[in-house]
Amino acid sequence: MNKNYTDKELLSAYIDGELSLNEKKLIEDKIKTSLELQKELSDLKKIKELTSGSVDRISESPFFETRLFANINTQASNRFNYKKWIPIGSLTLVTLTLMVVLKFNPKLIDNIVEQQKSNLAGFYKENLQPLLYAADLTNEDIFNFAVYQELPLDSANQQILKLGFDPAGTEFFEIKNASNISHSSNLKSFVAALDLNEAEIEMIDSIIGSYSDQLSSLVLVNDKNSVAINPNIWNTRKVILADILAFAKRFAGQNYSKILPTEVAELDNKTIMKWVSDAKSVKANQYIFFTPDSIFEDDFVFDMDEFKEQMENVKDELAELKEQGVELKEFRINFDSAYGNHKRNTDKSKRYEISVNKDQIKVNVQDFAINIPEIDFPDFDSIAIIINEATKNIYPVIPPSGSVVVGKNNYNYNFNSVKPRNKKGEVSLDSVMHQRNTENELKNNEQKKKYQNQVKTGPDFNDSLMLKQNEELKKEMDNLKKELQKFRQDFTKPNESDSGQSKKSKQRVNPIDTDEIEI
Amino acid sequence: MNYEQKENMEQPKILTLDDDFSLIKRFIDGDEAVFAELVKRHKEKVRNIVYLTLSSSNSVDDIAQEVFITVYRHLKSFRFESQFTTWIYRITINKCKDHLRKRNVRRIFLPLSEEEKEPVLESINEDSDIKEIVRSAIATLPDKLKIPLVLKDLEGFSYQEIADTMECEIGTVKSRIFRARESLKKVLKPLEKELM
Repeated sequence: MNKNYTDKELLSAYIDGELSLNEKKLIEDKIKTSLELQKELSDLKKIKELTSGSVDRISESPFFETRLFANINTQASNRFNYKKWIPIGSLTLVTLTLMVVLKFNPKLIDNIVEQQKSNLAGFYKENLQPLLYAADLTNEDIFNFAVYQELPLDSANQQILKLGFDPAGTEFFEIKNASNISHSSNLKSFVAALDLNEAEIEMIDSIIGSYSDQLSSLVLVNDKNSVAINPNIWNTRKVILADILAFAKRFAGQNYSKILPTEVAELDNKTIMKWVSDAKSVKANQYIFFTPDSIFEDDFVFDMDEFKEQMENVKDELAELKEQGVELKEFRINFDSAYGNHKRNTDKSKRYEISVNKDQIKVNVQDFAINIPEIDFPDFDSIAIIINEATKNIYPVIPPSGSVVVGKNNYNYNFNSVKPRNKKGEVSLDSVMHQRNTENELKNNEQKKKYQNQVKTGPDFNDSLMLKQNEELKKEMDNLKKELQKFRQDFTKPNESDSGQSKKSKQRVNPIDTDEIEI
Repeated sequence: MNYEQKENMEQPKILTLDDDFSLIKRFIDGDEAVFAELVKRHKEKVRNIVYLTLSSSNSVDDIAQEVFITVYRHLKSFRFESQFTTWIYRITINKCKDHLRKRNVRRIFLPLSEEEKEPVLESINEDSDIKEIVRSAIATLPDKLKIPLVLKDLEGFSYQEIADTMECEIGTVKSRIFRARESLKKVLKPLEKELM
């Protein structure tokens, strides 16, 4: 088969005249003896005849040369058109330059990124001012912050800074929208519960007030809607709390033990003072910046003294302007606290876990806060409610101007002549009740006047109901008084025989006794 | 004998071998106008090879233009080791192969209805003449069989010229031409009586 195939190939070459003499002679001999090869030769010749005869020349193209030379000229001119290589060349040059620069200065990009970060940080750090000036913090706010861990971030109380604990015990602070701030007069309630006198109230006010600067420099805000918070605020809060406790323990005596939980009441001054010194020893210059588009941590030193000095200057300038009669429509204070104080080499060792969601930003400060046990304070609002409940049904009694003679014996019944405070451990609610009674008395006097007016003009339903209740209360109190008088008469009868005691009985009744009877 | 004298002695020898060489020599020496003469001499042959290889008149002039532009660009590096015709036909065949390859690739992405219509034997009717039938049959051959057959039977190339043009062995050319004829015989078998 292969042999035949090779012979047929030779036949094809034979008709093309492409065989050597030897091949030609060989194949001619084979053709003579093989009918198959003769038939194949005949067929191949016919095919060759057909293919050779089928030549169909394409018609000439008259403008072929014209078009060709136009193309050649165009391509020749384009060939040397170096302009088209300019972009590629420039790109290559830039790439090579970058490669060389980066080879010798590998930290260039990192430095640029850091520089840009610093610029951005600088932008948001510009004109940072203490929160006190923005939110107008009061002692009440600072007290609430120390006790209830909430600090308003603006004067309208739209946002608050909240310190808290995770279920795992991790300390965190968060900025969130304020929903219900109800601690409106806790300091007042606290002071009332401790039964402090005027001087002591001033003292606690000055203690709390002394922290306002420190607290202010820990929470900074600016007109770019940035808030910078120093995680040390956690410790500061504890210091304020410890200071308040130390004061309360020192001046409030037994009231301190009654108001505060047992574990707190049992703490000694040394422990509390140690907390204060521990917390004050932490010098943290790292702030966490919350800006409208980023959250970052950076070293930052806020010079409160410098700020105050500048504010004083501003005040002087304002006073001068006022003297000159200049009317100011707008006055902006620019306190550049950014670039000068920015440190390039930020301490990266402290990292805070920061989580952000729609309503709040949360920062964990687990490794930062000093170890002070958390204290669960009683709700001073609830204390105020209890006191209110206890006192509201008591009919106000106008204290007699002189001593009241009861029965045959002269008892100096000095009603409500309660000492403002008793440091030696007597019942502490006296002063609170005294205050409440006085307030109620004033209210009732007003209502009485109002009632008398309304009798003329026609009573209002609600007021008349209240007055009716008061009248019932008055009747009850009258009955109680009668019973008391009866009790005293019975009480004094055995003493009538003991005339030697009569002089002693002229002594004033102990206020505690009167209060016990009153209750 | 200095170099100039030697060159003068060798010059007429080249001219006698192939007149194309003298034109190329002048072109290399800077007379680019002679290229027009080369184009004039070879353009029809090149165009016909393209036409017969593609079995279609479409794109013939475009491919022929590309052939001469390539020749123009590389003529100065011509080494005079082979005939100019062999060189230019090799370029032509390569351009045709490129075109056919691109066309086959394009065809993959074209819907059937938009494919270029190829001359097929089925389209031949009673009125078609023998030449047309045979050309259609040749068009059905694979490129590697069709090109040597066309160069041999239609353009009259020798096996050696075909081997040089296609850059292959003479034995391969011989085999491919035989296989092309055998294929044609089978294709034309139904029309044997009319044709033979």
